Amino acid sequence: MERLSRLAISEEGFIFDPVTGNSFTTNKVGLWILTRLKEGKSPSQILAEMTEHFEVDQETAERDLTDFLEQLKNYKLI
Amino acid sequence: MEELVVAVSGINAVDNPGPGLGVIRSLKEDQELNVKALGLAYDAMEPGIYLDWLVDKSYIMPYPSSDEEDYLARLGYIKESSGLEVVVPTLDAELPLFIKGEARLRQTGIKTFLPTWEQFELRSKQRLLELAPRLGLSIPPTEQVTSYQELLSALDRVGFPAMVKGLFYKAYRVHTYAEAEHAFQKIVEEWGYPVLVQKVVQGEEVNVVGVGDGEGGSLGHMAIKKLWITSLGKIWTGVTVKNELLLEATYKFLEQIGWRGAFELECITDGERIYLIEINPRFPAWIYFATGAGINLPARLVRAAIGANVERHSDYQAGKLYIRYTYDLVTDMTTFQKVVTKGES
Repeated sequence: MERLSRLAISEEGFIFDPVTGNSFTTNKVGLWILTRLKEGKSPSQILAEMTEHFEVDQETAERDLTDFLEQLKNYKLI
Repeated sequence: MEELVVAVSGINAVDNPGPGLGVIRSLKEDQELNVKALGLAYDAMEPGIYLDWLVDKSYIMPYPSSDEEDYLARLGYIKESSGLEVVVPTLDAELPLFIKGEARLRQTGIKTFLPTWEQFELRSKQRLLELAPRLGLSIPPTEQVTSYQELLSALDRVGFPAMVKGLFYKAYRVHTYAEAEHAFQKIVEEWGYPVLVQKVVQGEEVNVVGVGDGEGGSLGHMAIKKLWITSLGKIWTGVTVKNELLLEATYKFLEQIGWRGAFELECITDGERIYLIEINPRFPAWIYFATGAGINLPARLVRAAIGANVERHSDYQAGKLYIRYTYDLVTDMTTFQKVVTKGES
């Protein structure tokens, strides 16, 4: 959470880490997930909201969320 | 303020640029200082000589490695002819001469703001091994060798790729025993023993530039990450960062050493640890980055040298981007001719 909270995230999906100087881009879905993670929501809470917000089935939402969280881990952002 | 005449070296804005033009540009931006900038050059082809909106007048200098007396006499001449008051040497090869000659220069009315000789010696890779842990920084596994046999044994322990380094200057990245032997011989021929063999740390290059007040405090500093480097390893784009561990190490460095003058801490981070690679006792070539981000370190250094008021804050935003670029200038032969024939523009 400490790493996530320090990230500067623009509305266009540009993410800047002021400690490492690394920058990333993400799409609308990634931005939506990141915003909720920063709010302190758990992956299961986000998943529940995701299916409703994007009108997708549980399986698709879960796959997309897991993929995205994995990417964040790879970049050491969570 | 009355016009202040400041001489700056390293006006060779080439593919491995000197810091001089960044220093001069910064000094000119402090309008209250009202700087007249003299360029100290070693070749009539150094680009700074021709950039008359930055460098007001240039002088060809004797090489600092040749004769100390000649060098100081040349500075004396510049003082007489142009009213020189402060010198900001920016090149490694000049620093021993300026540090040793500081008192003599002061007597003639030429001011500097440099580290002490003892501080200057800290850039020795050997000394870095002791210093880094005191700053909360790491050092890549390093071995000191004084023979070819020791070199081979050290490489067996450190592994490839490795860095083969001189104590003060030169560093070669080597991938084979043959490359290592070649690098070892080159360093020994030029700089003598011992030679250091260091493990290559994988990670990102982060640096701090700053000025120490000589009493344990900071006259401003800023941390950056290099985003893109040239084939010569020189920064082309970079970004300001706020890495607490690195900034804390900077405070410790200033406090424990009482560093005076410009410095650059060169580090590599693997995300967890920060490795101290080098301490440079001068401004880096990208020094204008700090000025552009709100901390005019060259102006602060010159102000400290003349005993004027100095801002001390280190407030900057993370995420400021630095972009180096090339530029073309076309001029006639007049300046070149003057520099070649008279040694000054």
